[in-house]
Amino acid sequence: MSDMRDLPAGSEPVEEYLDRLLLTLSGPPRQVRRTLAEVEAHLHDAVAEEIAAGKSEAEAEQAAVARLGTISQITGRPLQFGRPTAALLRRTALAGSLIGGIALVAVGVSGAIGWGLAALRGGTFLVAPFPQGSYTRSDCARWLAGDPSTHSCLTAMTADHVGEVILNSFAAGLLGVLALSAYGWMRRRWQDRGTLTALPIGSAEAVGSILALIVAVGTAGRGINLELVQNGQGAGEMFSLTIGALAAATFFIVRLSRLSLPYRIRS
Amino acid sequence: MMSEKLKGNLDMLLLAVLAAGPGHGYAIITRLRDRSEGAFDLPEGTVYPALHRLETAGLLDSAWEVVAGRRRRLYRLTAAGQESLAAEAQRWRSFTGSVSQVLRGLATQPSAIRPAAL
Repeated sequence: MSDMRDLPAGSEPVEEYLDRLLLTLSGPPRQVRRTLAEVEAHLHDAVAEEIAAGKSEAEAEQAAVARLGTISQITGRPLQFGRPTAALLRRTALAGSLIGGIALVAVGVSGAIGWGLAALRGGTFLVAPFPQGSYTRSDCARWLAGDPSTHSCLTAMTADHVGEVILNSFAAGLLGVLALSAYGWMRRRWQDRGTLTALPIGSAEAVGSILALIVAVGTAGRGINLELVQNGQGAGEMFSLTIGALAAATFFIVRLSRLSLPYRIRS
Repeated sequence: MMSEKLKGNLDMLLLAVLAAGPGHGYAIITRLRDRSEGAFDLPEGTVYPALHRLETAGLLDSAWEVVAGRRRRLYRLTAAGQESLAAEAQRWRSFTGSVSQVLRGLATQPSAIRPAAL
């Protein structure tokens, strides 16, 4: 049963086997620790038996690992390559709900900022009005009906669009809160090591911060362009999104730095 | 071939080994190999998912104990495990008895297994 190949210098078959087993096991943490401890004790017994039979320590370790069989024989299920494991799907759902939730909350925050910017610099700073001739009398009548305090179609249209942008932003923010609640629920439910290590630690935060910074740069550039070319009409929406994206990027970067803190302390 | 046949009966064999007394994973596999005179020399890691499954089914219970200076998970047969083992052993004896009946004729007449064309 044993496979007596020449061992590379410095190799530790038992330690390497236990490392691979730890990375493969999934389930509740206590079950993972139990299986690992059982297999480690088993391997030490087998190594002792092989040494007693006359093998060198390196040969004994290799024989003990060969006797134990493949990792999948211990986990009780075959390793499946080429399609995502349940742990990977769970981890992706966690990452997606965190990134999506924060992104939507950032849109909600940008809505509040846009509201403030519209109050400071006027509604047309937040939303550019439609060009003349692109709307009908009935459109005007509808906008004016929604804002009885004015007789100007342009003012009523702007107020309508500002309200729409802010309402949509707040709705997105609410959805973001729901997504983050779902994230929190899933995070409590899926605490097994297999799920948590299915993607590199901090990958969601890294992807989230990169995406948020791209959005921040893109919307800032668009806002500056609107400020310069269209006298700022509609620039406020872009700038409010920039601030929301920067807040999201800051959140992800702070989380990322906290995740990597223990490694920095050790080094 | 022996490993394949063993797979379907591993649970019963593990219960039978533990009927002699509690044991940890390594001791169980050693007893299984010794009692089968080396015939059941299966990959040793396969016993752990089987032991965990039997414990979940309530046929075994287990606890950490220090044995020979090392912390080990010791498995014991439960009352339900004893009942299950007795029932499985009865079914196995009945099955092997029937198979033996069928094969009995072959054992006394080796020529009977030769293909007719020869």
